[in-house]
This record gives sequence, structure tokens and C-alpha cells, in this order.
Amino acid sequence: MIGTWLVRLAFASALFSSVAFYLTLRIKKGRWAKLARLSFRTSALFVIAAAALLLYLILTHQFQYTYVWSYSSTDLSLPLLVSTFYAGQEGSFLLWALYTAVIGVVLMNYARKRGYELQVMSIFALIESALLLMIVVKNPFEFVWRSFPGQVSEGFIPANGRGLNPLLQNFWMVIHPPVLFTGFAAMSVPFAFAIAGLWKRDYQTWIRTAAPWTLFAALALGTGIMLGGYWAYETLGWGGYWGWDPVENSSFIPWLFAVAAVHVMLVQRRTGSYVRSTFLISIIGFLLVLYSTFLTRSGVLGETSVHSFAEPGMGIYIMLAGTIAFFSALGIGWFLLRMKEMPKVPLHRSYLSREFALYLGAMVLIALAIYVLVGTSSPLITGLVQSKPSAVDISYYAKGSRLLGIFLALLIGIGQLIWWQRSDPAVLLRSIAYPAVGALIGTIGLIPFGLRDAGIALIVFAAFFALFANLVVGFRIFRGNPRLAGGSIAHIGIALMLLGFIGSSYYDTNQTISLPQGEPVKALGYELTYIGYRETEHEKYAFDIKVQKDGSDFTLSPVMYYSEYNQGLMRNPDIAIRPTHDLYIEPQSLEQPHGVNPGSDVTLKKGESTNLGEYRVTFVDFDVDRSAMMAGGMPSVAARLSVSHGEKEEIVKPALRISQSGMERIPARCSDGSAEFQIVTMHPDENDPANSTVTLNVKIGDEATVSQPTKDVLIIEASIKPFVGFVWLGTLVVLGGLILSIARRSREARGQ
Amino acid sequence: MKVKTIIVGIIIAGFIIFGAYSFLQSNVEYTNFQQAKATGKKVQVAGAWIQDRGSYFDPRTNQFVFYMHDDQNNIAKVMLDGAKPNNFEIATSIVVKGRYRDGVFHASEVLTKCPSKYEGKGSEVQKTM
Repeated sequence: MIGTWLVRLAFASALFSSVAFYLTLRIKKGRWAKLARLSFRTSALFVIAAAALLLYLILTHQFQYTYVWSYSSTDLSLPLLVSTFYAGQEGSFLLWALYTAVIGVVLMNYARKRGYELQVMSIFALIESALLLMIVVKNPFEFVWRSFPGQVSEGFIPANGRGLNPLLQNFWMVIHPPVLFTGFAAMSVPFAFAIAGLWKRDYQTWIRTAAPWTLFAALALGTGIMLGGYWAYETLGWGGYWGWDPVENSSFIPWLFAVAAVHVMLVQRRTGSYVRSTFLISIIGFLLVLYSTFLTRSGVLGETSVHSFAEPGMGIYIMLAGTIAFFSALGIGWFLLRMKEMPKVPLHRSYLSREFALYLGAMVLIALAIYVLVGTSSPLITGLVQSKPSAVDISYYAKGSRLLGIFLALLIGIGQLIWWQRSDPAVLLRSIAYPAVGALIGTIGLIPFGLRDAGIALIVFAAFFALFANLVVGFRIFRGNPRLAGGSIAHIGIALMLLGFIGSSYYDTNQTISLPQGEPVKALGYELTYIGYRETEHEKYAFDIKVQKDGSDFTLSPVMYYSEYNQGLMRNPDIAIRPTHDLYIEPQSLEQPHGVNPGSDVTLKKGESTNLGEYRVTFVDFDVDRSAMMAGGMPSVAARLSVSHGEKEEIVKPALRISQSGMERIPARCSDGSAEFQIVTMHPDENDPANSTVTLNVKIGDEATVSQPTKDVLIIEASIKPFVGFVWLGTLVVLGGLILSIARRSREARGQ
Repeated sequence: MKVKTIIVGIIIAGFIIFGAYSFLQSNVEYTNFQQAKATGKKVQVAGAWIQDRGSYFDPRTNQFVFYMHDDQNNIAKVMLDGAKPNNFEIATSIVVKGRYRDGVFHASEVLTKCPSKYEGKGSEVQKTM
């Protein structure tokens, strides 16, 4: 009860705050401003209280609340219990609203000191209201008897909850969503600043104030994304860290826009040009966050995504669509309104200038974002256009990202080497020379290691070029003033990541291997022996595999367990991390005798023949066993088959017998037992016997004799992932660079 | 028209053409087994596993074999390169991606759609005693 009201009050005060900020501008009375600030802070307090309440309910196991019941249980460790807060829709919206509220309080002071408060906060509070409205509709404080009317009596308190999906029960669940949502919340800030700039008719200076926040959004969102990737890699066991799944893409796309925004902001600050680009990118970046929320939560992609979330219902669908429509109209509409007034400042720079390189870079980022966006929205698009939704194959993303990746990497390199305003072509060529030669050497050096594909070689060359260029320049800057090296460091990280991406995905070698217990198997340059399994915790089983190579040996123990919650087999990989590659082992299954081989089906008319492998099978006729019937036994009908194999030809008669328990299928084999025949169904045609058919199931060769292994066989999928470590190392380097940049731009914003 | 505008136009057009080409190329159409048999193209077919026809993992060929029917009740034998997919038994529906060849659907991927595991049902509340 309290919780519901806290949320409603939070919504009301956020909305009021937005209106009050707006009115302050209209009426120009300081009192409204005070009211507005007070009500925003009040809203924030209400949100914090609601969040604290939900957390309290979770920690005290109050399962009469549907949300608490749905996602938590008494057997979860404390960190995981806390993480159930955002395990479901309602809670994750609340988390998002919480972060937005906290950011808003800080933003309010920040913007006020720089004269942007009223406009920025009016918009920002509006965003917060929209988020809170979702929570008002999809309430985390609902009782079980309200959610399942008629099935649960009022006042019933379940003794335990459903629990958290085992897939989510690990360390990463504790940090990935919070960081990601911080990123989403942070993306509202550049949007709010952009609108404020439009509102105030301030087309140039809003950037300086917005820049550190945009960098922060890129930092938070980027970190959140990579945490998700590492989680997928280390725990989920499908062998990768990025699947171009709609859920992943929809946080990647706004991130690309955030980074592009940062770069155009830099250009606009120096030259005053690209005014419209900067506005549009900042505005659309936030709209894409909303769109991503829509794609992943409305159920619209349900069929085509591996992340199949539950159907949230028409309510949320309409609300999300409405929110997007509203903020799009607000942002784009206002932009169009002011567009004519905006100063059209030509670049006044040579094409050989850093300003232009930055702008090009931003455009390539946007191009990549659009490319991914189109692919991700494919089910929507194809559903509308050709009425049959279809998803794009993963190769679509690989093609586009590789092509654009080349340009991106080259620009990252050139951008650092080129001068502001204008570069002398000769000088530029000279400064490009060293990194280019280094890149060439590096690329050629990889050929003996398997680099053959020309397209990949281009990417590798470009990545090395970016790496060396930024190392050289970064080192120089660092020696001068370390605080200014953020950009170079971040770009070094990107180059490393690119190399890591190519190594670990394109050169991933992957094999499904059967390991009979105790027998060493050579694969992927290692010798693997399945030793046995043991129970580790709560019915989870670790499968020990001894790995040997060049004298050293170690054990990898991937895990499999049956999850009641998911009603299926769960798999966790084990990874051997080495400097130049990872050995990744994912368990598939433990084969203990036996499986049922389905064989092949074939339907034959009377007199018709077919070829199955080396066998030629002809359906001759039906044979009704009259003798059994006349003796008072059960009737049976056989299908007389003429089977020829090589030189031999014989008659084989599988039969169907009607017994008390129903229809019994009696298989028949060839005399040498090498093929087994069984009747699936038969359709005798009394009017035209020639049309009678029989459908047979045929098992040939080894299939007929189900081989019973005497030992357990562990089936694994093992892969070598070259240089995947660069991906994680690169991520950390990018983070470091971004943090430095935020510090630098904050200082600049303050000195304004 | 300025040279710059033309160049920009060409670049953008080039990119759009590349994008459209990749998009159309990689669009894996949803269809049924009849069509799949007829065209032999790489397609996606949605349907469900036929449990009583059995399923089998062959360690020699590293293939998982099973039967499924599509939305129009066409039945096909499916051979997947790899082991039994996660949640195979419990999947309410599955989507196979691959091509029909030699009377068998060779799947490169099998997507399993599970029952809503993110929201509970009223009947489950009673069970948690």
C-alpha cells in the first residue's frame, strides 16, 4: 500500500516539478523556481523511499508481494537477493527511475550554476515522470491476490518465492544491470541539455556544459555493455561475448550515438559549425534508448530473439510507444522549429584537418549505428512490408561492422596525427608513415600465423595503425600534460579491442568433441581426457577434464545441472586463460546409454521402390495373417518388402498387430541384421489397391544396432579463442581514457 | 551542384546500397517445410518437436537428430550440427535455421522458445509451501 502511494507521489511531484520549472520561465517569478526545485527533490526522496521499501520487502522475504515472490526466495545469498530488485520489469524501471532521480538532483545544482537549470530540469523532470508513470502502471508493490485473482485468497502469504533464474545467479547479475541502467539514465542528460539549448536559443555554449555528462553516459553505458559481454562469455557458455542479439544491439546503438555526440561537440566547440548535427545526435541518442527499451520489453521481437521476455501486455506496449512518440515529437519538433534560426557556420577548415576527421569519425559511428539499427528492427520492418517477419542472419552485422570498422580505425589513427585547422600534406604523410609502416609489419607478421583473408588483413592493418598512431601521440601528450591524454588512451583501448574482436571471432576454432571416460583425445593442439564428474553444490555437477600440452597439465571443470526453474539443462563453461588465447570448453551432454535413433521415414505405394543408402526397398503388398485370426488370435497385417542390398535380395515383413493394449509395431530386420524396418502407418485403399500406401521407418547400418557405449562419454564443444584477452584489456584501457576525459572536460566546463 | 555534395551523395548512396544488399542477403525467411524442400534455400522454420519420434545424438558425426512439425503440420527430420540445444525438451516451440537437402533438414541453428519463465502463474503460488 505504502509503496504504491510512494510511487504515485513521486510521479506527481516529478510532473509538478517539470511544470513548475516551465512556469518559472513563463511567469518569471522566483517562487515557482523554488517550488520546482523542492518538488523535484521531494520526488527524488519518494523514489528513494520506494526503492528502499522494495529492497526491504525483498530482504525480509515478504512473498505476499507478487514481485518479491516472482523473483526471490529464501535460499539466495545476500548480494543475489539484492539483485532480485531489478530482476523483473517493474523493479528495473524503478532502478532506472532511481538513478535518474539521483542524477537529476546533482544535475539541478550543476545546471543552475551555469544558467541552464530551468530548461534542463523541466525536460529532465518530464523524463523522470514518464519513467515513474511506467511504474505506476506496472506496480512492483502489488499483492499476489491482486495479480492472480481467483487463484490466491486475499491475505495469503506464500512461504517461499519462485526464486531467481539460475542463469542469473552469479556475480555479474549484481553489477551488470545497475551499471547499464546508470548509462540509460545518463543518456537523458545530453538530451535535456540539447532541448535546453534549443529552448534558450543558445546554439553554441550548451555544449561545454553538456560534454562531461555525455562522456559519462558513454562511460557508464559502455561499461555496462562490456560487463554483459563478459558475463555471457564466462558463464552462459554459448561460446561468445557478443551475439548481435536485439537486446545487446539496443544498448550498443545509443552508445554509438553518445560517442558520436562527444566528437561533434568537440568540433562545434572549436569551429562553431555542425550545430544541427550536434543537436540531432544528442536528441536521437536518447530517443534510441527509449526505442531500445520498447524493442526489448514490448515483446515485439519475441519470436526472433533468443532473449525471449515474457509478454508484458498491451499496457506497457502502448505506454512505451507513447513515450517514444511524445519525446520524439518534443525533441525533433523543437529542433525543426529552431532549425531556420540556427547559425550556419561553414567549417572554414581544410579537409586535411582534425576537425574534419572528427566529423567524419562521428558520421561513420552514426552509419554503423543505423546499420545495426536496421538489422535489429528487421522483424518489425519485414513484418510490415512483407507480412512475414524475419530476422537478419548474424553475418549481416559481421559484414557491416568489419567494413565500417576499417574506416573507423583509420580515422582514429589519422585523427590523432593530423593537425587542427590545416595540415601540410607533406608533413601529414611523414607523420602517418611510421605508424603505417609499423602496422604493415604487424599485419605481415601475422600471415604465418594464419592471416589470409584480404578483408580481415585490412582491418588488422587499420587497427594496428590506430594503435601505433595513438601510442606515439598519446605518449607525447602524456609527457606534456597527462590530463589531456584521455582521448589517446581511449583510442588505444579501442584499437586493442578491435584486434581482440578479430582474433577471437574470426579465428575462433571450434570443435564438438566426444570424450569417452578415461580416454585421452587429441584436439585443438591439446590432449583432453574426461576423468569423471562430481557434485559441487545443490545438485550441480562439475565435469573434470584433464588438459595436457607440452608437458604442462591442468584441469578444466565445466558444469552442467538441471534447473527446475527453467525446466532444462543448464551449462557453464570453464576457460583456461592464456596470454595469447583462451581455451574455452563448454559441456554439451553426458552420453550414458542410450538414445533412440529415429531412422528415416519413407512412404511407398504398392509396387513402388526407393533407395535408402545402399539399400533398395520395394513395397510389394500387404500380407494379412489370416491364420492367426482364424485361430482366434489377434489380427496382424504385415507389409511385404523386397529389400536388395548389393547382391542380396530378400523379403522382409514388418508388421502391425492389433492387441488389447492397442496397436503394436513389430519390426523386422534383414537377415544380416544390418537394416531394421518398422511400419509407421498404412493406408490400404480398397477401391483402388494400387493406391495403397505404407509408411515405413528404416534404420540402416549402425543405426539399426544401437551401439551401447560401455563408458560414459562427455560431449563438449571446445574452442580456441585467440587474443580474446585484448578485448577485456582494451575495455579497461578505454575506461581509463574516458575517466581522464571526463575529468578534463568537467574542469573546462567549470572554468567557463 | 558542388563537387563536395556530389561526393558525399555518392558515398551515402554507396553505403545504402551496401546496407540494402547485406540486409536482403542475410534475411533468413520464415517458411514451412514444403517451401524449404522446394527451394533448398537457407530458411527458418518454426514449429515443434515431435516427442514420440525420439531424438538422438550421434557422437560420430556430432549431430543431434530429431523430428519436428511446422505450423502447417509438415513433418521433417532435422539434423543439427552440435548437441541437443538448451531447453530442448521443455520448449513450447522451436525455430530451426538451415536448408533442406536430401530429404533431411540440415539445421545450423535451433532456437528454443521457452514458456514464460519470467513471470509466475497463479497455480505456482500455492505450490511454494
